[in-house]
Parts: sequence; C-alpha cells; structure tokens
Amino acid sequence: MRFGQRLLWVLVGCIAATLSASDLAAQSTPVKIGLAAAMSGGSAASGEAIRRGLLIAIDEVNAKGGVLGGRKLELVVRDDEGNPTKGVTIARELVERERVAAVFGGLHSTVALAQVPVWHELKTPYVGAWAAATNITRNGHAPNYVFRVSGNDDYVDKFLVGYATERLRKAKPALLLENTPWGQSNEAGLTKWFADRGLKTVGVEKFNWNDPDMSPQLLRLRQQGADLVVLVANAPEGAQVVKSKAKTGWEVPVLSHWGISGGRFPELAGELSDGVVFFQTYSFFGSQNERGQYVLRVLREKFNVKGPEEVTAPVGTANAYDGMHLVAMAIEQAKATDGPKVRDALENLQGEYRGLIKTYRRPFTSEQHDALTDQDYLMVVWKGGKIVPVK
Amino acid sequence: MGIQLLVTGLALGSMYGLVALGYHITWATSRTMNFSQGQAVMAGAVVAYGLHVALGWPFLLTLLGTLVASALFGVVIERLAVRPFFRSASLAWLLATIACGTIAENVAMLTFGKDARAFPSALATRPVLIAGAGVYPQELLVPVVGLALMGGVQFFYHRTFYGKQLKAVAYNPEAAGLMGIHIPRAVMTAYALSAALAGAAGLLLAPLLNVAPTMGTIIGLKAFAVAIIGGLDSAGGILIAGFLYGLIESFVAGYVSTGAREIVGFAVVIAMLVVRPWGLGGARPTRRV
Repeated sequence: MRFGQRLLWVLVGCIAATLSASDLAAQSTPVKIGLAAAMSGGSAASGEAIRRGLLIAIDEVNAKGGVLGGRKLELVVRDDEGNPTKGVTIARELVERERVAAVFGGLHSTVALAQVPVWHELKTPYVGAWAAATNITRNGHAPNYVFRVSGNDDYVDKFLVGYATERLRKAKPALLLENTPWGQSNEAGLTKWFADRGLKTVGVEKFNWNDPDMSPQLLRLRQQGADLVVLVANAPEGAQVVKSKAKTGWEVPVLSHWGISGGRFPELAGELSDGVVFFQTYSFFGSQNERGQYVLRVLREKFNVKGPEEVTAPVGTANAYDGMHLVAMAIEQAKATDGPKVRDALENLQGEYRGLIKTYRRPFTSEQHDALTDQDYLMVVWKGGKIVPVK
Repeated sequence: MGIQLLVTGLALGSMYGLVALGYHITWATSRTMNFSQGQAVMAGAVVAYGLHVALGWPFLLTLLGTLVASALFGVVIERLAVRPFFRSASLAWLLATIACGTIAENVAMLTFGKDARAFPSALATRPVLIAGAGVYPQELLVPVVGLALMGGVQFFYHRTFYGKQLKAVAYNPEAAGLMGIHIPRAVMTAYALSAALAGAAGLLLAPLLNVAPTMGTIIGLKAFAVAIIGGLDSAGGILIAGFLYGLIESFVAGYVSTGAREIVGFAVVIAMLVVRPWGLGGARPTRRV
C-alpha cells in the first residue's frame, strides 16, 4: 500500500471515530438552561429565589432520568445586575456561547423589556419568573418567544380592582404610586379596570424614591374622600407610606401591588406593616399541596430554610419551579433542544402538569403567553412580619 | 389638614436646616463647601447602623464612634478634594467634592448593600398628637438638636478665640496667615466639624428615613437650597430658611400637588439669588468705592 493511500484510510477512520463519538456525546451532553437575573445588589434575593426554584425542579427531572432519553439538565447562571445593557450582553452570551435551550428571567421589567428583541433574533425561548410589565409578553412579535410564569401588571391591576370592589366593597378608591414607569403603567391599568366597574378613582398621588414624608399626599387623598388606598411601591417607600399614614391618624385600608413583598418591609415599617394586603402568585404559608411540601422540604435540607417564614422572595422560587417543569415538558415534547421547536412545544403543551401554583393544562397558546392570570393569584397580608393568606 | 401640614413641614424643615448648617461651617472658614454633604449624612447613618445594629454598641458609644468616623471623612474630603484646589481661583473643589460623595455612595453600596435597612428607635415607632396633628417624637428631637448646634456654631465662631481664627481665614487668608494662623489646619478643622455635624444628623435622621446608600442625595440637595436661601454666612438664617422650605414643600404638596413641590421650592431659590443673593440672614456685602 502506498503511503498516501494508508494516510487516507487513517483519515477516514479518524473522521468516522469523531462522528460516532460526537453522536454519543450528543446522547449524554447535558441540556443547558440559562438564568439571567439580578444575582447581586439590592435585588439579589430575588435572583437567588429563582435559582433555588430552578435547581429544585432540575434535580427532580434529572432524578427521573433527565430529558430526551437520558440527557441531564444543567443550570447556567448569569448576573444582569438589574442593568438592561448587561442584560442584553448576558442574553447573547448564554445563547451564543453556552448554547442554552431556554432562558429564565428575573425581577427587573426594564431588563426583560430590553431583552425581548434578543430572544427573537436568536430564536431562543425565554420564560419570565418575576418581572410583571404587561408588554414583556404582549410584545407584538409573531411567533412570540417570550413566555411568563409570574404576575402580569394588567391582570394584577384587574385582580386588585376585583378585590377592592367585591371583597372590600369600596367605591372611592385612591391611587398612591411611585413616580416611575412602573407606577405609571399601573396607574393606567388600575384606572382602566376601575372604570370597567363603573368606578372613578377619587385621587391619584405620586411620590419619589427616598421621599422622607408622604403625609401631604395622604392628607390630600383623605380630603378627596377616599375609602381605600391602592399602593404601588417598593419596600422602603411603602414603609414611609404606612409610617406617614400612622401620623395622620387616617384609618384607611391599604391594598398593594407586590413591591412590598420583599423581606425588608416588616423590618422597615415595624408593627405598622400589620394588615397591609397585597397580591402574590404563591404562598408557602398555610396548607400545602404535595409539591409545596416537597419544595419546602428540599429548601430546608439543601438551602437551610427552616420554614415558610424564611423563604425570602417566595414568588421567585414558586414561579421558577413551575416554569422549569413546563420547559422540561416542552423539550420532551419537541424531541429537540433547538429554540423554534421548544417554543412551538411550549405553545402547544400536551397533557397536564400538576404544579406547585396550580394544575397547568395547555398553559400557553399563540395568543396567551402568561401561564398565570388573575384567576390564579392570591391575596395575602402582613401579620407579625409574616405573609399570611387572606381567608 | 392645615395643622398636620404645618407640623410635617416644620419637621421636614428642621431636617433640611440641620444638614444645611454643614455648608455654613466650611463656607465661613474657607469660602468652599462640601457638595457631598448629603453623602456625609448617609455615611454617618451607615456607620451608626454598623456600630449600633450590627455590632450592638450602646447609643452613647455609637454617637462617639459616628462623630469620630464622620470627622475623619471630612478630613479625607478636605485633603483629597479641597486642599489641592484651594485658592487656585478655580472651582475644581466643587466637582471634586461631588466626586467624593459619589465614591462614598458606591463604597456604601458595596459594603452595606443597596437595601434600605431600619434603624430602630423607641422615639420613632409610635406618633404622638400635637394639637390634633401626628408627629413622631424623633421628629421633635431634630429641631431641638438643630437649634442647639446652631447656638454652638454661633458661639464658636463669635466668642471663642479659635473660632475667630477660622473666620479670619475666610476674610483675609493672607493677613490671617501673617498673624500666625495655620490656614490648611484651619480649613481642615472646618471640614472635620462640618462632616461631624452631618454624621450627627445622619444618626438623628436614620430612624426616620431608613438607612440606605442613596438616602442622602435629595436631602443634601435640598439642604443646599436652604443654605442659599438662608445665607451661607448666617447660621440663624439657614435654620429659619430650613423651616420655611419645609413649610413650602408641605403646603404645596398638600394644597397644590406633589409634582409642583420641587418646582416651587427650587423656583424660590432662583428668586432668592436674584433678589437677595446674600440670603435671608446674611448682610449685604459692603462695597468699597
């Protein structure tokens, strides 16, 4: 045999070996799932809560043999620092370098909105686990790569209005909002849904971040005859609101968006936090279904969380847990990990998933990219520094 | 409603006045100011939180520690941001002090965290009623401390030998130097005093405002407006201007709208600069012909 011919055979052998090896590798390489959320800074607790929810679900799926005939799920975490520019950079990195099959997102609506065009350009499904801005999912793209297992401001406003009018039977609602795009979008939503019930808000007041005293705003609302204050604020300003309310001596019920659900609200407001009602997608307090018990047990064993009162940012964990199971189902159904196929599967999920928050039957359609709506939300109340479901 | 707005305004105003005194102290000596006065307040609150809440020091020790740490902060600002530019007839110290404040804010974010934390105080848990208007006892403490400090500053500058030396530096640095006054040391002392006062203000305001790296920014800016209205040369004028500014804010927010609050407040500053640039309590500068 001539040397050249021998070399040829060796080459052919090499190529064949590589091919079969990569074939084998495809069988056993993990399927990567991305998490792009705030893992540092003031909202770090939210990112960590989402990470825990994802890890618990991933361990469950892997214990049952993974997906696509034996491939394990693997989580890749990137920190968006609450910064939209950073959010876009890590979105690209997760898809282009890490080759993730899907990405979960965090607390900041500004980041999520900035990332929407990226998911569509890279054809990668995104599942929001926290940020609630309405147009994250209702983004005008078709096909739409953005899904969400969390609150949606529009439904939240509808839910709050429903609670205010049906349960509390209030007819003179007033709005007290932070002076930001988040406050503004909820002003529009709340006004819309109150109008839907034939009600007009008697007053709308705003405050800035770090405002020391909200009594003038509250006094104006009282002057205007409000019998309920709907609050859109984060924990520090929410605390200033209830402190100022105590000064003015105005005994008015406060109904709040979930900004005050952060763990610091009872610390900042002290005993005044008692009785403030707000919305959540899930609560680990009270009786739990099987999944709730399981998640709490793993949280205790793996993350040293002693009980529901120590689950910081509970909605992040709950939303991410259910979202991860839905994505795993979609990958199975698509029999692939490429973006368009997983996206299509998410929109047409077959079978049901008995989840933590609810039982999901076809959670997403081409029209509906929010798995949770006002039908699934629940009202909770601060009581002695704990979140308790409203009966 | 009127009485509640009055009480709220006076409480707010005493906060602004207290912080604004810090601008007066350095101005009276060096004709420069620490534009990061608000961040000095924040630094005081953060240090106090660290000592009192995190380390569990008793209150008096916390006060002492906060004053010392804040004075050091003032010395650092003077050395880094003011002295290199002092009397070079440039306004570089202005930007340099702002830069120091921004650095302090970011250091606080890295060490203390971005979350707002509560500074517990028995005087800020339950409001008391005064003529039907609610107020936290802690808020009543602010004007008391403000008045006492104003008196102390006045006494220091007008009645003590060392205070007079500091003032002399402002009037005529060269002559003061020739009289044997160590000018750099005088300016440094003024900055240390000013920052210590800001630290005390931080400790006092912490239970009312929550402790956070960004807590001082707006207060510092509004206190500057107050210092301009009151007159940078007059401690008494600043305190009165503080009350006025707080009342303007509270009544505009209560009777007009929250959005108009800042517009009216800062419009007053501009009006004051046009009509009476030396401020409420300052004296019209004498002109030599």
